[in-house]
Amino acid sequence: MKSYDVVVIGGGVMGTSTAYQLSKRGYSVAIIEQDDIASGTASHTDGATLISDKQPGIDVLQGYHSVELYRKLSQEFSYDIEFSSCGFMYVCETDQEMAAAAEYAAKVRAQGFEMRVIDPKEMGEREKYLAKDLKGGLWTESDGLVNPYKVCFGFVEEARKYGLDVYTKHEVKGIKLGPKNQVEAVITDRGTFLTKKVVNACGVWAPFIGNMVGLSIPIEPRKGMLLVTEKAETIAHTEVLEFGYWLAKFFADFKRPVSELVEKHNVCLNIETTHSGNTVVGGCRLFRGYDLKSEYEIMQAIAERAIRFFPVLKDMNCIRTFSGLRPFCLDHLPIVSGVDEVPGFYIAAGHEGDGIALAPITGLLISQIIAGEKTEFDATELGWNRFKGMDMAKLAEHPH
Amino acid sequence: MEKKFDDDMLVCRCEEITVGEIRQAIEEGAVDVVGVKRRTRAGMGLCQGKTCEKMVQQILAQELCIGPEQTGSSSIRPPVRPITFGTLAGGVK
Repeated sequence: MKSYDVVVIGGGVMGTSTAYQLSKRGYSVAIIEQDDIASGTASHTDGATLISDKQPGIDVLQGYHSVELYRKLSQEFSYDIEFSSCGFMYVCETDQEMAAAAEYAAKVRAQGFEMRVIDPKEMGEREKYLAKDLKGGLWTESDGLVNPYKVCFGFVEEARKYGLDVYTKHEVKGIKLGPKNQVEAVITDRGTFLTKKVVNACGVWAPFIGNMVGLSIPIEPRKGMLLVTEKAETIAHTEVLEFGYWLAKFFADFKRPVSELVEKHNVCLNIETTHSGNTVVGGCRLFRGYDLKSEYEIMQAIAERAIRFFPVLKDMNCIRTFSGLRPFCLDHLPIVSGVDEVPGFYIAAGHEGDGIALAPITGLLISQIIAGEKTEFDATELGWNRFKGMDMAKLAEHPH
Repeated sequence: MEKKFDDDMLVCRCEEITVGEIRQAIEEGAVDVVGVKRRTRAGMGLCQGKTCEKMVQQILAQELCIGPEQTGSSSIRPPVRPITFGTLAGGVK
């Protein structure tokens, strides 16, 4: 029977990052994955690595550490993860948005991170295809982009140098616990793996693994849809997001000047041009269970919103649409933690739309927690204990 | 099974991916069409694999000694053929 110091369940961006950090520390590590590396959420998303879409507090803090880690890893790795420090721009359509954006940027700066107000002239210089009638925006120089699935392959390739074993097409059927409820083995459809430590890095599928050890993990799939253009010259030179979405999200009475269709599906613009020369345009956040269908009305709404900000797209071709499932955690923070009641069981999941951005720091934190070391920064807020005393089964049923 | 393809033969014309690159992806762990696509970009271009998917399946079948039906296929996603954003948005000006 095979035996490892740590078994990581899930070959997505969290699992591969965690496996990389642990392998590098000298642990014997296996990744067990039901399908293939990067076959789930990690390959059905964009590649934004930002601090700028996070809430002030621990969220921005972990974002900052993670982006800096990407900068370092992209230098160290022999595998190209297509990291680009292209910068990030919020764009504002109205004066009301602009005022709120300036206030938000001041809060982020007060925490010691950079983010400044820019005028339409600077926006036009940075993004020549951006609509000319916008009121202004925010700029974060340090933010960037990666290729989300290549990040996973990169982590695996690098970790293999330290002895990582990867078992794809292996479905976990159960986790064997000992008399003290401690982890003893992972049982799959293709054999049992002895181990005292398991990391549940299964994103939207984390609750199924949690159930195997009696935990109700409050994560639910949240669907995001994206449109892909044909290859062309670079349409977006930076990562661009509309600021109105933030306001609509946090202030219920805020209304954007948008069509019924855009309003109905709460579609907001995010756009990036990838290394391949295709431009990826979104987006939306929907609760549809595990359904991945491309929905026609939402395709229409995304196209409409994209043209509003980048009129040049009007005559460009859309060659594909796709959806991904973001692991929505009920309090909007990921779970990066050990679990006291199940010794040897760790969770690295629940990053919703921030998983690609946060994978490096999450892998590092989990490896520090497993090694019993001081973590990079105080990560208590990401701990499993924050859910103590809550009726988890009930919460998991109705997280929103 | 017929004779093996040469490594330098082009398979995906849109993304200019060769037989050799696909073999390399299989060596790195790809076991189906989607796995090859993600590792090489074969099938990610303008035609979305309409031209090359059969060929990728054939290479997978040869290299892994499996039946073509076990090599999977790319997920079917709209649009069926390229459509402009303007048309998609319903004629937005």
